[in-house]
Amino acid sequence: MISPRLYILLLIALMVACFAMAAKLEPQFHEWRGSRADGDIFEITLGEGRALFANEFYVKADEYYHSGYYPSIFDNRENFQTPHIAEDTGAVASKNKGGEEEQGFRMRQLDWIDAFSRHFYPNRHTHLDQGGASGDLKDSGEIREILPWLKLSADLDPHNVQTYVVTGYWLRSRMHKPDEALAFLREGLRNNPDSYEILFELGCLYNEDLHDPGRARNVWELAVQKYLKLSAQDMKDNRLLMEKLGTQLGLLEEKEGNYPRAVYWLQLAKKASLTPESIQSMIDDIQKKMPENARTNSLPALPPQ
Amino acid sequence: MSVILKTEKLRVEFKNRELRQQKKIALHGLDLEVNTGEVFGFLGPNGAGKTTTMNVLLGFVPPTSGTAYLFGIDVREPIARQRIGYLPELTYYYKFLTAEEILRFYAKIFKIPRAETGKRIDQLLKLVELEHARKRPIKSYSKGMQQRVGLAQALINNPDLLILDEPTSGLDPLGRMKVREIIQRLKNEGKTVFFSSHELGEVETVCDRVAIIHQGELKNVGRVQQIMEGYANLEKAFLNIVGYQEQIA
Amino acid sequence: MKTIFALSGVVIKELYRRKDFYVLFIITILICLVMASVNVFNDDKIVRYLKEICLLLIWLASLVIAITTTARQIPAEREQRTLLPLLAKPITRAQLIIGKFLGCWFACGLTLFCFYVFFAALAASREHHLPLLNYFQAAALHWVVLGVVVAMTLFGSLVFAAPSSNATIIFVFVAGILTIGRHLHQIALGQPEPAQSIIYAIYLVIPHLEIFDVRDLIVHDWPVVPWFYFGMAVLYALAYIAAFLIAACLVFRRKAVN
Repeated sequence: MISPRLYILLLIALMVACFAMAAKLEPQFHEWRGSRADGDIFEITLGEGRALFANEFYVKADEYYHSGYYPSIFDNRENFQTPHIAEDTGAVASKNKGGEEEQGFRMRQLDWIDAFSRHFYPNRHTHLDQGGASGDLKDSGEIREILPWLKLSADLDPHNVQTYVVTGYWLRSRMHKPDEALAFLREGLRNNPDSYEILFELGCLYNEDLHDPGRARNVWELAVQKYLKLSAQDMKDNRLLMEKLGTQLGLLEEKEGNYPRAVYWLQLAKKASLTPESIQSMIDDIQKKMPENARTNSLPALPPQ
Repeated sequence: MSVILKTEKLRVEFKNRELRQQKKIALHGLDLEVNTGEVFGFLGPNGAGKTTTMNVLLGFVPPTSGTAYLFGIDVREPIARQRIGYLPELTYYYKFLTAEEILRFYAKIFKIPRAETGKRIDQLLKLVELEHARKRPIKSYSKGMQQRVGLAQALINNPDLLILDEPTSGLDPLGRMKVREIIQRLKNEGKTVFFSSHELGEVETVCDRVAIIHQGELKNVGRVQQIMEGYANLEKAFLNIVGYQEQIA
Repeated sequence: MKTIFALSGVVIKELYRRKDFYVLFIITILICLVMASVNVFNDDKIVRYLKEICLLLIWLASLVIAITTTARQIPAEREQRTLLPLLAKPITRAQLIIGKFLGCWFACGLTLFCFYVFFAALAASREHHLPLLNYFQAAALHWVVLGVVVAMTLFGSLVFAAPSSNATIIFVFVAGILTIGRHLHQIALGQPEPAQSIIYAIYLVIPHLEIFDVRDLIVHDWPVVPWFYFGMAVLYALAYIAAFLIAACLVFRRKAVN
């Protein structure tokens, strides 16, 4: 019969061997490319597959934005102008005036079970920033409820620029949390250094919330540089943002009294715009403030600051 | 002396799945009568149909044809089981309950008044010598202790008829003696006991009458002395009746 | 009724003497507390995500408890032969079924009570208000739907031989109803005949458990469900409970238990 003492000795020997091997192998594990060891919990558990779930949580945030009133994959999504939280962030009220969208996405009641069950689900289209389910509040703080899902979505897919932009917008403009927005947008920029969308939102934050036009100008100009490096097709697809960038820069320069630079940016915006007339009128207004010989309708080189 | 247990042309067939739905006949028209106040031994080799008969009597298995009565009531009626106690072979009880809780549970099923339940539980636990373990969960009991809980639950309603399926199976000699004592005590109290057993010596000691069943058919029924007539003991008589004498010889 | 309540009492004792409930309850508490400790943009008023996660865990835990507890009731009684001394007593098989059903249902009710008290405490600690009627409706509808699940599982335990297969089938069935039950009629519309009629018939026959899942109303602070429809939903569930129990009694009535 083997003595229990032998088992204990064997156990100790095995433990020593395990610790020795761990000490030897640990540095090599860290050298492996693509090691999950340094990532967050999602990276460790899900690896690159975590991005698959990111969109789910982004949609969840949108669902929260509508206080749970949201179409499923079986509903008529065309009648539901989604996703609102991503779509020009903030200009949603115009799309929520009742009518088609209110009744539209849920198909007509087909039978008594369907009719009966509708009493148990959110059945009115509301937006959290307009008071949510209770409906009549203005500028509700309830919008904060979408933030955890956006944060989670960004953690799962750090390369989804839209998540950072939308979160940054809500944090700075409706939650009045510019510091948190700044940190989050910077995190987005670290993960997506070529993103002109994040740079644009960051510029808005500096300009509107932190009142730092110098920094705003820098990041917007950087955004324009990033934009101009895009392929022709991508530029065409993203011209709306260029219009915004140009307009914002133009307005900023006008405010600073740098009229030639303002005209320069507005000319760029006009070139990208689908409604150049409105921008031309802005240019005209600025040119009236400028000396006669400095006025031009063509795109000049960027004047010095 | 009235008849307390009766079967008439009891026939039970089972579908045998292994033999592609061929029928296996467990009981061939069994006619049996047990009188009030007697201790009745139900004997037979393994697979003879003893347990099937008990299962029909207790309503566990519906008969294919024929009828069975307890106290003159068809066994399909739950009320027929109001005045009986039953101890199955190799029973297990709710392991998470204590002996006291199990007895209280069965007392509730018999709708025994709360005041009486406590006294009855005390008496029974004393009878089966489990007072010391009344608060312990059944899972901590030995096999013999579990069998004694089984006996106590069979007696909770102070039954007039006790049906015991091999009550001494798996018990040590001391446990067997205790069960025999309890059966004798019940007999003295005028209760009827119907029990199956392989322990022929035990049957010889406690039974008034016995029935011997083999391959689903009743081979012999009568007083113990009647059946033993011409044989040295009940075992010899039993072996002869079921046709094993030559092999033994 | 005394017999039925005696039977259900044993089931309730079994639940609280086993470890399943405590394990699930502690896991739920731990996950919720960890989630509550997450700092989301330095805003400690954010609560809905927490309510959503807590309610999801409560639903999962309650379904696990309801199905696994019920699925093992009669098979375990048969396997351990505890059914024999029980049926040798003056009880009908219908009483046994109803007793088991009530036991499992009440046990689920006790479990839900614990879970919802924790949920209310967690939500109230963040929201600083307690919409009692909403919580009552959510818990009551949840309990009622568990009654349907318990009755369904009890019926399944008499049809399917192994408790594990029964539990798995019921889990899949319940999960299927909760996810696509309310859309089956829309799916049917897109199918050719005879699939359309078959799917529509399934839609009409299945118990619509998803109706009772009012988590969205709780999470998003919607007003309470109108009491008339609440009552109708309870009646709807009771009808299915009765149907499953009658079916179970019919199956069990002539079943040999040797």
